[in-house]
Amino acid sequence: MSGPVPISTPVMDPRLAPPFPKAALPILQNTQLRKNVAHATDVIQAKRNRLVAEKKDWQELRTSASAIRAHVLANLATYLEQFETNCTAAGGVVHWASNAAEARRIIIDILREENATEVIKIKTMTSAEIQLNPALEAAGIAAIETDLAELILQLGHDEPSHIVVPALHVNRHQVREIFARQMGLPQLPNDPEALTAAARTYLRRKFLSVPTAISGANFLIAETGSVAIVESEGNGRMCLTLPRTLITLAGIEKVLPRFADLEVMLQVLARSATGERLNPYNSLWSGVVSGDGPQRFHVVLLDNGRSEILARKVERQTLQCIRCAACLNTCPVYRQTGGHAYGSPYAGPIGAILTPQLERMRHAQSLPYASSLCGACYEVCPVKINIPEVLIDLRAQVVDQERVDSARWTDPMYLGMKAANFAFASASRFRMAQWFGRLGLRFFTGKDGWIRKLPSLGSRWTLSRDLPALPDQTFRQWWAERESKPKTGADK
Amino acid sequence: MNSRQQILDRIRTATSGDRSRYEDLPRGYIHAGALENEARIQLMTERLREYGAEVVECAASDLPATISPQLRDSGRHRFIVPDGVPHEWLAEDFTWLRDQNLIYDEIEQCAGVMTAASAGVADSGTIILHHGPAEGRRIISLLPDFHLCILRASQIVETMPEYFARFPNPPRLATFISGPSATADIEMTRIKGVHGPRFLSVIIVRDDA
Repeated sequence: MSGPVPISTPVMDPRLAPPFPKAALPILQNTQLRKNVAHATDVIQAKRNRLVAEKKDWQELRTSASAIRAHVLANLATYLEQFETNCTAAGGVVHWASNAAEARRIIIDILREENATEVIKIKTMTSAEIQLNPALEAAGIAAIETDLAELILQLGHDEPSHIVVPALHVNRHQVREIFARQMGLPQLPNDPEALTAAARTYLRRKFLSVPTAISGANFLIAETGSVAIVESEGNGRMCLTLPRTLITLAGIEKVLPRFADLEVMLQVLARSATGERLNPYNSLWSGVVSGDGPQRFHVVLLDNGRSEILARKVERQTLQCIRCAACLNTCPVYRQTGGHAYGSPYAGPIGAILTPQLERMRHAQSLPYASSLCGACYEVCPVKINIPEVLIDLRAQVVDQERVDSARWTDPMYLGMKAANFAFASASRFRMAQWFGRLGLRFFTGKDGWIRKLPSLGSRWTLSRDLPALPDQTFRQWWAERESKPKTGADK
Repeated sequence: MNSRQQILDRIRTATSGDRSRYEDLPRGYIHAGALENEARIQLMTERLREYGAEVVECAASDLPATISPQLRDSGRHRFIVPDGVPHEWLAEDFTWLRDQNLIYDEIEQCAGVMTAASAGVADSGTIILHHGPAEGRRIISLLPDFHLCILRASQIVETMPEYFARFPNPPRLATFISGPSATADIEMTRIKGVHGPRFLSVIIVRDDA
């Protein structure tokens, strides 16, 4: 039942990861992993739905949250400068990193100056995005993940598969195996309470002894230069309070205009992310506070492709994201594959639009296709990111990239699309195409009313799907007939 | 050109011509709560109990007499307090350490901590510390396993927006506590107490009567 995890180490670097359909295949055959993912997403979704339903002003909160984030993006330079001024005045040091390599260099330079050999870390997506841990290791600095899920993954040499609960694909038996082996606790039982207690003991020593910490940021407050972190376990509070030096790595889009804007963001984030009215701990601090917490504080503001996303009209909304992962939990694709198939720390629908853009459309081009465009993600998004709209736009970009103009008249896809374009452009041509299509499909329809195998290009569709036979009447025919019939009282 | 300038230039180019005013942002959500005083305190109590926190109420004059049994029930003896806590809160029969720059080990050896608070939000059962003199440094309400928090009824608001309206001057430090530390990282099973205090006890002082 337990079995070792992972079966093969997933590749989470979009530059090296296989395309989504290829990466998803072995996962779809891993029934244990699928069971774990289904269970976890079911539980979070049920909690989320219950708590959203009890909130009478949910749609108004969403509208405000979306508007605040869009407003920030429209005025991003102003708010970032304001944040920088106020954070600096409060005793923080603000750094700017154009790309991942620069961010890694800045962080490693600070740690070297501190003579750090170890650093404690709060779960941060941006750190995974810039592949910080391998760089720290190469620099001789041991990174210690302190979030329970991240610790499970680090000790198990596994990779995160969810933005909020990164180890949701691992069950208690697997966690027990990992902890028993790595912490030298052969007698460890497999109930979550004992496992959590083992992590508490294991990490307590680290919290009390390691003098440097790295965090991400949920929000940067322009008005005060403060940083806000949202968490459940208290490992965040430990890392933010105990060390001498704290480095916060934050995407440039994370800023909010004012402290009071948290009244909206905290409410929508907690309900969407973990299905709680509020998560157990929120921490907010401004620069360095004498006598309380780290006395050296650095913020690294990371661009890494974000300013280019900002420049694109449809895609800009991607940057409104507050990383709640509600779109993952509701996505029919993610719920089957889990996160590893996305080949990036950002999985699910938001990952499908964010990752290729962060890679400037040079990698991860299969991700915009990892969706059925059902729109469930858009419906649950607390900041109203129209993910399907962005997916379609990115697909168009991928098609444009792949099109080789000189060869297009021999490309069956191009010819097919051209023909479809021609047929759909006029009602009479559409009718004719329908007539021909019905005639043609009749040859491939089985006696039981199903189409199981199509020739040529169509075979790619029927490889994994069956089609029902076309009905005797088209909708247009049915409609015309209905309109011509005399109206009876019952129709009204 | 340095990265700062490059990034800001790219952002300015990307957003040139965008007009969006902060004052025009839609704010149609619920700001003020609708509950009467008693119902608000009741809601706060219910929410805290849902989190597994102990909650008792007392009149302002009974506070010292209420603290004592709460501490005794916790089965702990050695407590840390912020330096700004009033002397009459320090019940007899317990060992009290005032936090005058105690070192980590001294704090770690205390079984519990007692602090005041800055606000409570009933809707989410949240206690908010701004870490003033009676609330203490962040570390003292983090390392001990038991936290007794003294919250005045007049500090409790119903909604999150009401809290923000009450503090137009943002605090330099804030910790929002909504129940004891918890995780659901293993099979979504909620486990109380990972790193912060595992036990939260709240005395609501009825200074509103």
